[in-house]
Amino acid sequence: MRVGIPKGLLYCKYHPFFETFFRGLGAEIINSDNTNKNILDLGVKTCVDEACLPVKIYHGHVASIKDQCDFMVIPRIMQVYKNEYICPKFCGLPEMVVHSIPGMPPVTTGPLYMHNKKTLFKWCLESGSMITRNRNRIKSAFELALKAQNNSRSGILQQKDITVMLAGHPYVVNDAFLNMDIVKKLMAKGIGIVTEEFAPGPDSEKQVMKLIKKPFWTFQRNLFGASTAFFQQGKIHGIIYLSSFACGIDSVVIDLIRFHIGEFPMLVIKLDEHTGEAGVDTRLEAFTDMLERRVADENNRSAHGKCLYSG
Amino acid sequence: MKITVPHMGNVYIAVKILFDGLGIDYVIPPLNNKEALSLGSKYSPDEICLPFKLMIGNYIAGIKNGADTILLVGSCGPCRFGEYSELQFKILEHLKYNVDFIVIDAVKSIGLNELSKRIQRVGAESNKKSIEKIKSFVRAYNAMCLLDDIESQAHFKAGYEKNKGECKKLLNACKEEVFACDEPDKALKLLKYYLDRIKNVPADYSKNPVKVAIIGEIYTVIEPFTNLFIEDILMDMSVSTKRNLTPSWWLKDMLLKTIKLNSRELLKASNEFLPLYIGGHARECVGEAVLASKENFDGAIQIFPMGCMPEIVSKAILPTISREKKLPVLSLIVDEMTGEAGYMTRIEAFIDLLERRREHVFAWN
Repeated sequence: MRVGIPKGLLYCKYHPFFETFFRGLGAEIINSDNTNKNILDLGVKTCVDEACLPVKIYHGHVASIKDQCDFMVIPRIMQVYKNEYICPKFCGLPEMVVHSIPGMPPVTTGPLYMHNKKTLFKWCLESGSMITRNRNRIKSAFELALKAQNNSRSGILQQKDITVMLAGHPYVVNDAFLNMDIVKKLMAKGIGIVTEEFAPGPDSEKQVMKLIKKPFWTFQRNLFGASTAFFQQGKIHGIIYLSSFACGIDSVVIDLIRFHIGEFPMLVIKLDEHTGEAGVDTRLEAFTDMLERRVADENNRSAHGKCLYSG
Repeated sequence: MKITVPHMGNVYIAVKILFDGLGIDYVIPPLNNKEALSLGSKYSPDEICLPFKLMIGNYIAGIKNGADTILLVGSCGPCRFGEYSELQFKILEHLKYNVDFIVIDAVKSIGLNELSKRIQRVGAESNKKSIEKIKSFVRAYNAMCLLDDIESQAHFKAGYEKNKGECKKLLNACKEEVFACDEPDKALKLLKYYLDRIKNVPADYSKNPVKVAIIGEIYTVIEPFTNLFIEDILMDMSVSTKRNLTPSWWLKDMLLKTIKLNSRELLKASNEFLPLYIGGHARECVGEAVLASKENFDGAIQIFPMGCMPEIVSKAILPTISREKKLPVLSLIVDEMTGEAGYMTRIEAFIDLLERRREHVFAWN
């Protein structure tokens, strides 16, 4: 049995779970390639036009391996924490894919509630039944998969003289093709990077409590909490927010962060399938130059916020 | 306390009847217009959806007319609408407007206690007896139902009327007269009178007009300014339209959701294509498309604001329904940049297609 697992969206977070589980059942796993131009083109061709770039790329990943596998894992991740969603497109992902790409193999359609072991196991039973009827085997593979997931950690932490927080949904930050290898570009400039995974939990929780309404998006809680907590502690010199064009969550979160951090440097990079690399490079350079000057001149700033002397 | 509310279709008339009954001071902002839109887009995030921008425009107009409290309904995701209150509060604060927000939120996210506290905050402003208050609520609800009924009758009858334009004229006269009336009981009587008149519009049922279902995102289908008055355009073309999403439907849906008895027919119809709630009204949109084909409609027009997350999912599903159920679907996406000419051309072309499709021997139904 060949199980297809596309390398898009939250694969970067949950691949240990899915891969260990299906490997434990004795299935052969077919991964798509890392995102490349071909996959992007396939995705743009098949996906509904209005979707955001990561969803389009996901469609490309699916289309590139659909003929090589007997069934495909398209996780419908409803909630990661209790009463917190990711995005409506995640809740309807299997439908979007199946209705947009012709000739699909069978796919998993069960809902995934990552915070609840019982429903997670139910999903495993449902999906595992395509491979084996043996409940015990599924159970042991499930336990193994949980362990593998809990042992995995993602995120970047590299503090330097100037450190920026690289904010954005994990599938944007972790996909080097999608974000035009921004991590490497920043490293080459000698800029340190932290991501939301390394935010001090209690502090960001405290920041989130300041909101009038309890957020119902996991990414909103993570990103708002982390960036404002980092800002409060003075651990970072700027925020670079990677956002995909027409992302509904970002349209709210970016402005919430802005209202909170005031004049603090923040660069928002919007990504879509037309984004040109040269423009991004220029903006990155300008932003890091500005940060460098800001750090160097910190003591020579007048109360008006205007730089009077530049050594 | 002077309360203002954002616009959504005819809700303002019911709100007026409610507040008149309760004796609470209120401001109804001017109907959605270019000014509200440009003010709204100026102060809102670029990529937020159209309803948000218009609401900001409404608030500012309301505040300029003396309002100090904004009454808004909420939800608990996963669609953006649930986060409106948070961001709108911050934006108005940033603009140095000193206003209070009362958000009637879903019970699930704030709890019953908090909800009743918020409702009481509005109720405390009224010096009427409790029984009077309940009466005013019931009256406002009845008014909303009557209005929705009048509107849907007028929209559907437009295809059959003997004297062209009669339904539209009646509908407009009704809205104007009821809004001008300051006595809730009299307003209700007027609504009943107009419902009667709409029912008695001479119609020729031997006609076979093109029938179109209007589906999609709830705000953009209900608020005529956002969809460039599509229902009026279609009435002028003598097309019968049907729209399931109305403010009274929304209220019923919200209440029945708590005991899971809401719009069962719709959900049953959507099961084949979208079996789970994904936020917004994507599931309803899919269900309506299926029902429209069952009820022998000629086509469906889906309207949603640019970037609407749930409707993007339903837009991905609609082509399959269109193919399998043989129902042409036109998706119109609106935002503050929508140009009228291109929009009209597409609607005209779509209606022409539906007309010719009937006559063609080899049409695919």
